[in-house]
Amino acid sequence: MATAPTVATAQRSDRIDPTVYHIKKGGQGSALDIRDFNLWYGENQALYDNTIDVQKGMVTALIGPSGCGKSTLLRSLNRMNDLVDGLRISGQVMVDGFDIYGPGVDVIALRKRMGMVFQKPNPFAMSIYDNVTYPLRVDGVTKKSILDETVERALRSAALWDEAKDRLHTSALGMSGGQQQRLCIARGIASDPEVLLMDEPCSALDPIATAKIENLIADLRGQYTIVIVTHSMSQAARVSDNTAFMYLGRIVEYGDTGTVFTNPKVPRTNDYVTGRFG
Amino acid sequence: MTVTNQHDLPASGAAGLAGVAAREATKGRRVRRFSADLSAVGEPALWAFGGALALGIILIAGFLAMIAWNGFTTFWPKPIEKVELVDGELIAGVPTRGGAYRPGDSTLAQLDDDTRARIAENEGFASRTLYQTANFDLYGDDFRWVSDFEIAGITTPEDFHYIERQQWGVFIGRITGLEVDGQPVEVTQDRLQREQRDARARFNEIRRLERRDIGGINHLIERERLAMRRAVIRHGEDSAQAQATIAEGTARIEELQAEFAELQARVNDIRAEDRRTRITFEEVNGQQVETELSQVVRFFPANALSLPDKVGIYLSRWWEFVSAEPREANTQGGVLPAIFGTVAMTLLMVIFVAPFGVITALYLREYAKQGRLTSIVRISVNNLAGVPSIVYGVFGLGFFAYAMGGTIDQLFYPEALPNPTFGKGGILWASLTLALLTVPVVIVASEEALQAVPRSMREGSLACGASKWQTIRYIVLPKAMPGIMTGMILAMARGAGEVAPLMLVGVVKLAPALPIDGFAPFIHLDRSFMHLGFHIFDVGFQSRNSEAGIPMVFVTTVLLLTLIITMNATAIYVRNRLKRKYASGEF
Ligand SMILES: Nc1ncnc2c1ncn2[C@@H]1O[C@H](COP(=O)(O)OP(=O)(O)OP(=O)(O)O)[C@@H](O)[C@H]1O
Ligand SMILES: [Mg+2]
Repeated sequence: MATAPTVATAQRSDRIDPTVYHIKKGGQGSALDIRDFNLWYGENQALYDNTIDVQKGMVTALIGPSGCGKSTLLRSLNRMNDLVDGLRISGQVMVDGFDIYGPGVDVIALRKRMGMVFQKPNPFAMSIYDNVTYPLRVDGVTKKSILDETVERALRSAALWDEAKDRLHTSALGMSGGQQQRLCIARGIASDPEVLLMDEPCSALDPIATAKIENLIADLRGQYTIVIVTHSMSQAARVSDNTAFMYLGRIVEYGDTGTVFTNPKVPRTNDYVTGRFG
Repeated sequence: MTVTNQHDLPASGAAGLAGVAAREATKGRRVRRFSADLSAVGEPALWAFGGALALGIILIAGFLAMIAWNGFTTFWPKPIEKVELVDGELIAGVPTRGGAYRPGDSTLAQLDDDTRARIAENEGFASRTLYQTANFDLYGDDFRWVSDFEIAGITTPEDFHYIERQQWGVFIGRITGLEVDGQPVEVTQDRLQREQRDARARFNEIRRLERRDIGGINHLIERERLAMRRAVIRHGEDSAQAQATIAEGTARIEELQAEFAELQARVNDIRAEDRRTRITFEEVNGQQVETELSQVVRFFPANALSLPDKVGIYLSRWWEFVSAEPREANTQGGVLPAIFGTVAMTLLMVIFVAPFGVITALYLREYAKQGRLTSIVRISVNNLAGVPSIVYGVFGLGFFAYAMGGTIDQLFYPEALPNPTFGKGGILWASLTLALLTVPVVIVASEEALQAVPRSMREGSLACGASKWQTIRYIVLPKAMPGIMTGMILAMARGAGEVAPLMLVGVVKLAPALPIDGFAPFIHLDRSFMHLGFHIFDVGFQSRNSEAGIPMVFVTTVLLLTLIITMNATAIYVRNRLKRKYASGEF
């Protein structure tokens, strides 16, 4: 795992420039439209005026030094941050024209529309089959044919079918770390969500497992909208269409990946992607 | 690491050390001397800690060995000694224990010079033996101390029998007569055995008829009577309903009474037949006792037994112990009702404590806001574990039995008043009291188990669109279950061994009926019950004859320990299976 750049030397008093945008449009409109989003953990503000337009069917990478708020932003998208005491937000996150933080939003229904993959694989202590079907079962689906079909589809999409098809009913905890992470991806896409949120999905994996997951992301592109947080510059460059560079809770630059990595518009982005600060 | 490296390391290390030594030597005389404080040598406290642990283990092992030895040897048949005393008196009995004692002056004064000199030589001590002389009906005592200097001679006659009776305890003596169907027959071991088996069968038949059939009819008559009273209380004496119920009830009672009379007649027949088969014993001094053969539970010639005979008697006594009801004020017979009561109460307690404790822990850990109030509740719960158990007994009696039970009686059982139904100690109140006593253990353990469920798993579930309750139900609880079970096991162990509070809320010396039987509603939670823990106390210290009770104390203790170990082992087995099912494969 690459060591994350730190922000030890950064100052809050740095001059604040507005975000620079130059994104590649997917042509299907936006899946998530984050507007002027601010977030506070108690007294501490973690996100400042984040405005991002996540393109449908494309892979969007969030990069930035440790502690800059990537996970916070990602977890705001399916309201996982609701679990934190003393959380406050302002601004909007629009999905299909409605604000997920608006009044009367069904958080559970919202989460069902978004799969999430975490940094550390977190399969449940159940069989592989039960893990993959969990999102459906909590939804009340009991029909065996549907579950069977979902398991095969999800595991195939997660490139795990061949390895897992003979041991579907054994414990998921008996799998290797890389297999577990692909299982979590399978679980994330089992209920056929619109968006897949991934928070450093490869940080606990070796290069081969990482390569498999990157291939998988490439395969899923187009089918799902993917937002991925990563510390690996090369990974972001390889898998994503658009990249947002975050710094101290702000979006510094949000543009198409090629440009962000080869010809960034903001000097600080350049410093970061070339590894000059941190 | 490569092979070369392995080879190199010690070599270079040694060379390095040698170099240092050489340099030290060339520096001359001021070689630094290394000395260490005593407390720095080894681990200073190691011996103390190790010693304390060893002592603890030895004490526990010794204690268990003592109980096991006493418990397991009690039922082994022991020989009968016929003792002739210097004054010509004869005693027959089983030596149980002995020891040195200091005879009083008046005793010494009656002795001859020789004996007195011997005792004086022994610093005033003489030894004595406690004989179980039995034959309580003849002598009014079961045991007798015999000093060594009183004894003129000891023999072990082969025709002396150890006879366990239904009443009056053990008889020690010879069997001199047997009468079958009113006709005297020759006394042979074979014949005796056969006739005794038949007689016991008759005895058990009578008992079954009286207990189950006649008892059942009594129960039904009582129920009719109560139904009539209830109708009167509810509708008024002159109402049509009451009159109808009374008419119906009276008719039914008449029917039942006819049945009763029929059964009673049958019992009387069997009794009459039983009275015609009799046995005569003769004790060592020639006094004779005659009784029905069916009164003899077990008999054996204690001095003429082969090893297989002894093993057989030993096993049959154990079997009786665990499968029969007590007799002779609990000092003989079995403890089946007590075993049953202990197990039933413990299981009931677990049924109460499990959901109560787990739900409380779930609320405290998963739903309550973690603030000062929650901390206060948590600390209070922890402190509840330190309240003396008898206090719970008092609470159980005052709140459960009198307040709640009294109200239930008034609302649902007014016809039985002033006899309380639930308004007294009973198995329901006892297990509720114990549930209250053990619930802190379950809460604390469950909270810890819930807390240990990784956050990542909860988040994974929530991210799948599961609700909070679904997450708890499918992810958190299964993962926490082994820990919760551990708490339950601890609670069970504590509850099963608790006696003090039970004495206030429903345990009795002798329960007339089990809490579960064949009469609707089959489970009678209002009934008082027997308990092994209380049985130990009762048999050892509350009975007519504590000398006879003491061996039973150990046997019952062995049984109680076995029971608790079995229940815990079962629970631990279940928990480990759960654990394996949810085994976490860390990578
Ligand atoms: N639950 C929380 N309560 C309070 N503060 C939090 C919480 N989670 C995160 N923070 C703070 O919010 C800021 C952003 O954290 P976040 O986890 O989003 O960073 P990140 O960019 O994901 O970092 P990394 O790359 O190390 O994962 C940090 O200063 C962090 O200390
Ligand atoms: Mg993070």
